Amino acid sequence: MERRDFFKKAAVTAGAAALGSSTLEAGITHQPIDNRKPMDVAFPEKRPLIVYSDRPPLLETPRDVFTSALTPNDQFFVRWHMPDIPTFIDPDKFTISVNGLVNKELQISLNDLKTKYEQVDVTAVLQCGGNSRSAFTPTAGGIQWGNGAMGCARWRGVRLKDILDKAGLKKEAEWIGFNGSEKAAYYETPNFIRELKLDELDDHVILAYEMNGEDLPYLNGYPLRLIIPGSYSDSWVKMLSNITVTNEYKKLFFMDIAYRVPDNATEGETPEKKFPKTKPITKMNVKSIIGYPVDGATLSHKSEVVVRGVAWDDGHGIEKVMVSIDNGKTWGEALLDSGRLGRYAYRAFRFHFKPKGYGQLKIMAKAMNKIGKEQPLAKDIPWNHGGYKYNGIDEVTVEVV
Amino acid sequence: MNTKKLFLAAAIAASPLFAQVSAKVEVPYVAFPVKMGAGFDEVQANCLMCHSFGYIINQGKQSKKFWRGKVNKMIVHFKAPINQKSADIITAYLFEHYGNGQEK
Repeated sequence: MERRDFFKKAAVTAGAAALGSSTLEAGITHQPIDNRKPMDVAFPEKRPLIVYSDRPPLLETPRDVFTSALTPNDQFFVRWHMPDIPTFIDPDKFTISVNGLVNKELQISLNDLKTKYEQVDVTAVLQCGGNSRSAFTPTAGGIQWGNGAMGCARWRGVRLKDILDKAGLKKEAEWIGFNGSEKAAYYETPNFIRELKLDELDDHVILAYEMNGEDLPYLNGYPLRLIIPGSYSDSWVKMLSNITVTNEYKKLFFMDIAYRVPDNATEGETPEKKFPKTKPITKMNVKSIIGYPVDGATLSHKSEVVVRGVAWDDGHGIEKVMVSIDNGKTWGEALLDSGRLGRYAYRAFRFHFKPKGYGQLKIMAKAMNKIGKEQPLAKDIPWNHGGYKYNGIDEVTVEVV
Repeated sequence: MNTKKLFLAAAIAASPLFAQVSAKVEVPYVAFPVKMGAGFDEVQANCLMCHSFGYIINQGKQSKKFWRGKVNKMIVHFKAPINQKSADIITAYLFEHYGNGQEK
């Protein structure tokens, strides 16, 4: 082969690999794409991460970060919807407005939030509803995330309830709308607004200004974002600027069209026959990810290997994590951390073994929660048009030498 | 997929942004690999106003119906001022370069 031909061929191969799953069997859900590498260039306040887009910024956390229950701020994934993020936020002048069906409208400064309300901490997993979307065949619509559109942090802020109490809700109040400060290129484009029903909001919902003991990184929503433990991140509005209380639900693109799954028992459908009725993705399902070893790693024969990873659900709590090193024939129970970070946090797990043979070895992890839900095999997860809520048993394949 | 291969990363300063730090921070500009071909001018004029090329290519290989639907979504839901002729050209470009060969 001439040199020129070789390059031509190589380029074509790279392109095909990049564009996903056309060679996979149609209709069977598989492991998400898992070998993407961080880009060389780091985004502000971040280490180099996997980059899908710079405008709006879409950054994924590499698998090897998921060995501990807290995800470092500088490796925490990033997902925005609009191209225009404010170019300047002055913490001394920033205020959050509370208006609508309230007795007293509020303009609360950051300083007032930090000094005039009870300060609360909640450790919670933030996961994109489309995390692991690249598992679906045929390719579901949306960014083809691997497993790292998620993280877990300790959030500090003020209870939404305390703020609403201060404003005083009128008796007809029913919905709360949350606005972020990200803006579209066109004036007519709908803003990124979420609406939550008042009775869905419990004491764990907070407005957070701090993440793992530091100010929020601006790519994670500085200076203030909504924290809704147990729910997917589409509702965790970033750069929160306004809270409006209403008595009726407004039709919103990001509520009514995006982030929805088939409203049936399996939440599944086929590309040919999409299910007509849909529902919001809301609560997270039970899931685990192996942080070490990563796919393609080399392990030494008879070495003392400790598999590490994280498991979580929507707050029911993780009961146990099982690990298999024989293609799922037998499963051993992993050791879980103390769980002191609370029921919305990752539970870090570890599992010790000595590889006995040589060659390829598949390691699988399966979490079960306290209400008896467990992760299915990837192949048993039905397709949905948006590629949401994948939670297949995790797999990495290593080489024992 | 090895995304890194595709990212001809360039740290050209783009939009200035601020965080809690008082100094300016900037989101790097990423030069995603762009396939040249008929219709690219329309893509550049209509799509890149709101989002990077990365947002397009990281949707995976998709059908003509999918790409038609995405372009329509930009017009109907995101209010992008794209006329029908441009929408047709953009759809054809996307399917040609980022299509899976299937009509739907």
